[in-house]
Amino acid sequence: MLTAFFSAFRTPDLRKKILFTLFILALYRLGAQLPSPGVSYANVQACLDANTADSGVFSLLNLFSGGALLQLSVFALGIMPYITASIILQLLTVVIPRLEQLKKEGPPGQAKITQYTRYLTLGLAVLQASGYIALARSGTLFGPACPTTGTQAIIPDTSTLDNGLPMWVTLTVLVTVMTAGTAMIMWFGELITDRGVGNGMSVLIFASIAAQLPGQIWGIKEDTNNWLLFGAIIAVGIAIIALVVFIEQSQRRIPVQYAKRMVGRRMYGGTSTYIPLKVNQAGVIPVIFGSSLLYIPTLITQFYANETDPPGWVVWLNTYLVNPGNWVYTVVYFFLIIGFTYFYISINFNPNEVAENMKKAGGFIPGVRPGKPTSQYLSWILERLTLPGALYLAVIAILPNLAILAFGGSEVFAQFPFGGTAVLIMVGVGLESVKQIESQLMQRNYEGFLR
Amino acid sequence: MTKNNRLGRWLSNGGIRTGRYSRVIQRAGREAERFREMTDAELTRAAESLLGDPRRERDRLVDFVALGREAAERAVGLRPFDVQLTGALWMMAGTVVEMDTGEGKTLAGALAASGFALRGRSVHVVSVNDYLARRDAEWMGPLYELLGVSVGWIGAESTPDERREAYSRRVVYGSVSEFGFDVLRDNLCTDPDELVTGDVDVALVDEADSVLVDEARVPLILAGSVETGTALERVTEVVSRLRPGRHYRVDEAGRDVHLTRAGERAVEKAYGGIDLYDADQNGAVLTEVNLALHARALLRRDVDYIVRDGRVELVDASRGRVAKLQRWPDGLQAAVEAKEAVAATDSGEVLDTVSVQGLIQRYPMLCGMTGTAMPAEEQFRRFYNLSVVPLPPNRPCVRDDEPDRFYQTAEDRDEAVVAHIVERHETGQPILIGTLDVAESQRLADRLTEAGVGCVVLNAKNDADEAKVIASAGRLGAVTVSTQIAGRGTDIRLGGPDGTEHDEVVALGGLHVVGTGHHSSKRVDDQLRGRAGRQGDPGSSVFFASLEDDLITRHVPGLSGPGDLDGRITSPRVAVRAAHAQRIAEGLNLDQHSLTWQYHRLLEHQRTLVVEERDRLLHTDAAVDRFREAAPDGFEELSAQVSETELARAARLVWLHQIDRHWVDHLAVLADLRETIHLRVLGRQRPVDEFHREAIRAFQPLISRAEAAAVETMESVTVRDDRIDVAAAGVARPSATWTYLVTDNPFGTALERDMRGMRSRFGGGNADDADD
Repeated sequence: MLTAFFSAFRTPDLRKKILFTLFILALYRLGAQLPSPGVSYANVQACLDANTADSGVFSLLNLFSGGALLQLSVFALGIMPYITASIILQLLTVVIPRLEQLKKEGPPGQAKITQYTRYLTLGLAVLQASGYIALARSGTLFGPACPTTGTQAIIPDTSTLDNGLPMWVTLTVLVTVMTAGTAMIMWFGELITDRGVGNGMSVLIFASIAAQLPGQIWGIKEDTNNWLLFGAIIAVGIAIIALVVFIEQSQRRIPVQYAKRMVGRRMYGGTSTYIPLKVNQAGVIPVIFGSSLLYIPTLITQFYANETDPPGWVVWLNTYLVNPGNWVYTVVYFFLIIGFTYFYISINFNPNEVAENMKKAGGFIPGVRPGKPTSQYLSWILERLTLPGALYLAVIAILPNLAILAFGGSEVFAQFPFGGTAVLIMVGVGLESVKQIESQLMQRNYEGFLR
Repeated sequence: MTKNNRLGRWLSNGGIRTGRYSRVIQRAGREAERFREMTDAELTRAAESLLGDPRRERDRLVDFVALGREAAERAVGLRPFDVQLTGALWMMAGTVVEMDTGEGKTLAGALAASGFALRGRSVHVVSVNDYLARRDAEWMGPLYELLGVSVGWIGAESTPDERREAYSRRVVYGSVSEFGFDVLRDNLCTDPDELVTGDVDVALVDEADSVLVDEARVPLILAGSVETGTALERVTEVVSRLRPGRHYRVDEAGRDVHLTRAGERAVEKAYGGIDLYDADQNGAVLTEVNLALHARALLRRDVDYIVRDGRVELVDASRGRVAKLQRWPDGLQAAVEAKEAVAATDSGEVLDTVSVQGLIQRYPMLCGMTGTAMPAEEQFRRFYNLSVVPLPPNRPCVRDDEPDRFYQTAEDRDEAVVAHIVERHETGQPILIGTLDVAESQRLADRLTEAGVGCVVLNAKNDADEAKVIASAGRLGAVTVSTQIAGRGTDIRLGGPDGTEHDEVVALGGLHVVGTGHHSSKRVDDQLRGRAGRQGDPGSSVFFASLEDDLITRHVPGLSGPGDLDGRITSPRVAVRAAHAQRIAEGLNLDQHSLTWQYHRLLEHQRTLVVEERDRLLHTDAAVDRFREAAPDGFEELSAQVSETELARAARLVWLHQIDRHWVDHLAVLADLRETIHLRVLGRQRPVDEFHREAIRAFQPLISRAEAAAVETMESVTVRDDRIDVAAAGVARPSATWTYLVTDNPFGTALERDMRGMRSRFGGGNADDADD
C-alpha cells in the first residue's frame, strides 16, 4: 500500500490530484478556524477552556465540523446541511413522482437532482445557522458556564458602543457568513470529487475528525502530565486502528456460479466470483443511532438543569444515563449498538432480494437451489456474521467509556481519541480513499508495478 | 462543470464560433479568379505547393478554400456552398460539425480530408458501413486526384494486399469495424510483412453520433473458432416442451427469463433425475438450459434475427440491417441455431477485443460530421473531448413536423397509420414509412396491400435492392415501407433519380415521412425525419405511437389516457410521459456506454502493453535472445542443429504464440469476472475498482508466464530437415479467424440493471458509508 502511495506521487496526473485535494483541505481547515464576524474569539476560547465537559449531541456535530461549530467559525455548519439535504432528497424521490422520473432519466436527471440538493442545502444552512446562533446566545450550545450577556458574551452586543452595529445587523451578517461558508464547503466537496481523490464529502469529514486528533492526544498529556500513560495511550490507539482496519477488511466470501455463458475451454478457477459479506456489514450507522438515542436523557435533564430540587427520576437519569463514565450508561450504549446493528442489517441486506436477483441473472451458489433455499442459506450465514460484527462495533464504541471507568472520572477520556465513532469513520474513509487512489493508479499508470 | 457546459453551449449556439471562418471564405471568393484560370495540372501543383508554403496559416487556408472550391467544381461537378467550406474548415480544427441532412456532408468531409492531406497528414475517413465508404471514396476520387491526394478504400471483402495498398494512401475510407478489425488482425501477425495498417494520424468520422456513440456500446471482437463439442439438440427439445408462465417466467422488460420451480423439476426429470444445482455438475446442463430458454423465450424471429439461406442472421436494431459480422456470444448463437434447426456454425473464442472508443482514441486528431450532433454533445465531450459546431443549413429547412399521434393499443395505431397513408397516397405524394423491426415492416406492407396501396418493402431481408429502392422512393405516388435501414445516410431525391417529376412532387408537399413508433433515442427519430425536407425542399413528417409500444411499457409502465372512438389519445400528459420514456432509454444507453468504457479502459491499457511486447518480438530478435538467457543449454543444443536465422524464426513464433495464448486466456478470465463483479456491491465495494484490482492481479504474471511457457516449448521442440518443427510443439495459429461484434450483450445489460438496483437498494458501495 505504501508503494502505491509512492507510485501515486510519481504519476504526474495523480500527484496533481493529491496536491489539489490537500490544497482544498488546507482552505477548509483555514475556514474552520476563521472566526465569523461578530463573534468574540477571545470570549469563545475562554468559554471552551472553562467548559471541558462533553456537551452531548453537539459534540458529535462538532466532531463532524472539525471543531468549527464550537468556535462559531465561518465553516461552523460543516457539511451537515449538505448531507441532510442529500438524505432528504433521496427520501423524497420515493414520494415525489417528478423526482423519481428525474432519477430514472440517468445522468442528466441526476444532475438536476444534484442541483435541487444544492438549493435545499442553502435553505437548511440558513435555518441551522440561525438555530445555532440562537442556541449560542441563550447559552445552550456552550453550557451554563458561559455568560450570555455583557462584554463576556460569545456574541457581544456592540450597539451601545460608539461605532458599533445594531444587533440585528450583526446577527444577519453572521447567518449570511455561515450560510456562505456552507456553500463554500459544498463546492470544496464537489471539487475534490471532480478533480481530486476520493469522495469529496467523505474526505472533508475525515479531515475534520483527523484534525482534532493531535489536540486531543496532547490534551491527555497536559491533563495527566504522565509521559508513560501518554505513550501507552498512543500504543493502544495504534493497536485499535490496526484492529479496525483488519476487521473492516474482513469478509466472508460465498462462492457463486453463473450459468449463462458457454465458453470453449475453462481452464481457470472461478475464484473471483463470490458474494462478499463484510463482518461489519452495517458500517458506522448503528453507533450514530445509538449515541443519538442516548442523547435524549441528556436533553430531558437539561430542562431541569436550573431547578434546585429536580424530581427523583431526573436525578436517576442524571446519575446513570447522562454520565458516560457510569457503568449503566456503558452497558445501555453497548446493547443499543448491538440492537441497531441487527436492525440496520435487516433493512440493508435483503437475502430474498439478492436470491431473486441471482436467480434472474442465472446465478446460483453451488449445491444450493435458487430461490428460497438460497435466501435461507444467505440468512443463515448473515446471522452468524452479524453477532461478531455487532460485538466489534459495540466494543470499539464503548472504548472511551471503558477508559473513564478504568482510570477514574478524568474527563479527558470523554474525548478519548481512539474510540467510538471517530476511529470508525476515519478508518472507513481512509481505506476508501486509499483504495481509490490505488484504483486510479492501476487504471492509468501501473507499469511501475508490472516490471 | 455545468457552468462551463452551459457557457460552451451558449457560445456554440450563439453564432460566435460559427462566424470564425467567414472572413476566410470571403477572401477565398476574391482569390477564386486566380485559380479559375489554371489548368488541371497547374491546380494540382498549386495544391501540392501548399505543404511547403511559408506564409501564415490564414493565408494558406484562404488558398486552400479557393482551390478546393475550384477543384470540386471541376472534378465532381459540385460547387461547394459556403456552409460546406465552413464545415470543412471546422473539421480541420478538430471538431464535430452538425450539418443538416442533405447539405452535402460527403463533399465537406472530402474537402476536410484533403485539407489534412495537403498539410502532410494521413486521414482515415470512418463511415458507418462498407457501402457508404466505397461510394464516397469512388465518388470523391476525382476531387482527390485533382488535388494530388492519393485515396483508397477498404471493405469487408478486401484482401490483405488491397488493404496494405489502401493504407499506404493519404486518405483511406472504411467502416469503423473494418478499421478496428484490421488493427486486431495486425495484433495477431507473426511476420512483419503481414502487417497491413500503418501509423494512425487523423480520424474523420462520418455520422459521428452513430459511430462514436451508438456503436461505442458494443466492442469489436476478433474470434477464432474452437470446438465446444456440445450438441444443443437435446436441450432444445426439452426446453421446447416447457410452457411459459408455468415452467419459466419472462420479466416485465423482456430481458430476462428464468425457470420456475416446476420448470426446474421438469428439466431434471427429462434428464433422468439430476440435480441442476449440484456443486459437482459445474452448472453445465443448467448453462445449456438457460441458453436454450433464452433463445426460445427472448429472441424473436424477424425482430432480433432472420433466417435466410439456412443461416441465422442477426438484425442490428439501430440500423435495421443484417449484421453479417455479428454473432451472439458464448453459445447463444448455437442455441438459436438449434431452435431454428439450421446447421450449427463454429463456436468462437475471443482472440482479442477493442472498443470503438479505444480504437478512436489511438488517433491523435479526431473530427467528425453528422446531422444530429447537438443531442449527443454531452457524450462527445465526455468520452472524446470533442466539441460540436452546429452550422446553419444552406437553405432553411421548411419541413413540417406534425405533432405525435398517440393511440391506446398497437392495433388502433396500425389502423390509423394505414388510414393516414391511404389518404395521403391518393394525392400522389411520395411516402416513406419507418418501422421499428423487420416483422412490423412486413405486417404493415401486407395491410397496405390489402387496402389497395402498392408499396415497396426495404428491410434486412432484401437489402440487396437498397440502392434501387431508395432511388425511386421519391417518385410520384411511391410508398416505401422500411426499417431503420433507410434512416441514415440515404439521400432520397424528389421525383426520382433523374428528377423528372420533381416539380409535381414539390407541388404536392415533397416527401412525407411516417414513423410507426419512437426509437430509443430522439436522435434516431430525427434522422428518420431528416429524410424529408432536404436542401430546402418541402416535406413533412409525423410519428404514430401507442401505449403498447416497448418504449412505453418498459420505461413508464401503467401509462394510460382517455382515448376517443378510434383509440386516439389527445391528452398532452401522455406526450410528456412518452418523451420521458425516451429520455430514460437514452439515459440507460448513456450509462451503458460509460460502463463499457469504464470496464474497457484498463483492458485497452493492458492491450497496449501486450502489443508493445509483441512488436518487440516481431521486429527484433528479442525472442531468441531471451531464450539464450533463460535456457543456455537448450539454446546451445538447438543452435548446434539449425542455423541462426531458423532458430530466431522458431523462437519468435513460439514466443508470439504463447503471448497470444495467454492473452486469450486473460480475456476469458476478465469476461468471467465482468459477469459477476456487480456482486461486490453487497460488500460495500465499488465493482469497477474491484474489477481493476482483480484484472491487474491476473495480468501481472502474464508476460513472465508466457515467457516461461515459451522456454518450455522451445526445450521440447524437435528438429527435422534443418528446421525446427514448431507446429508439432502445439504452436498453431487459430485455424479460421473471423470477426464479429458482440451484439448488445443480452446478459450484460441485465446485470448492469441489477447492479443499479442493488446500488440504490444497498446504499451505494462508495464512500456513503461514512456520511449516510
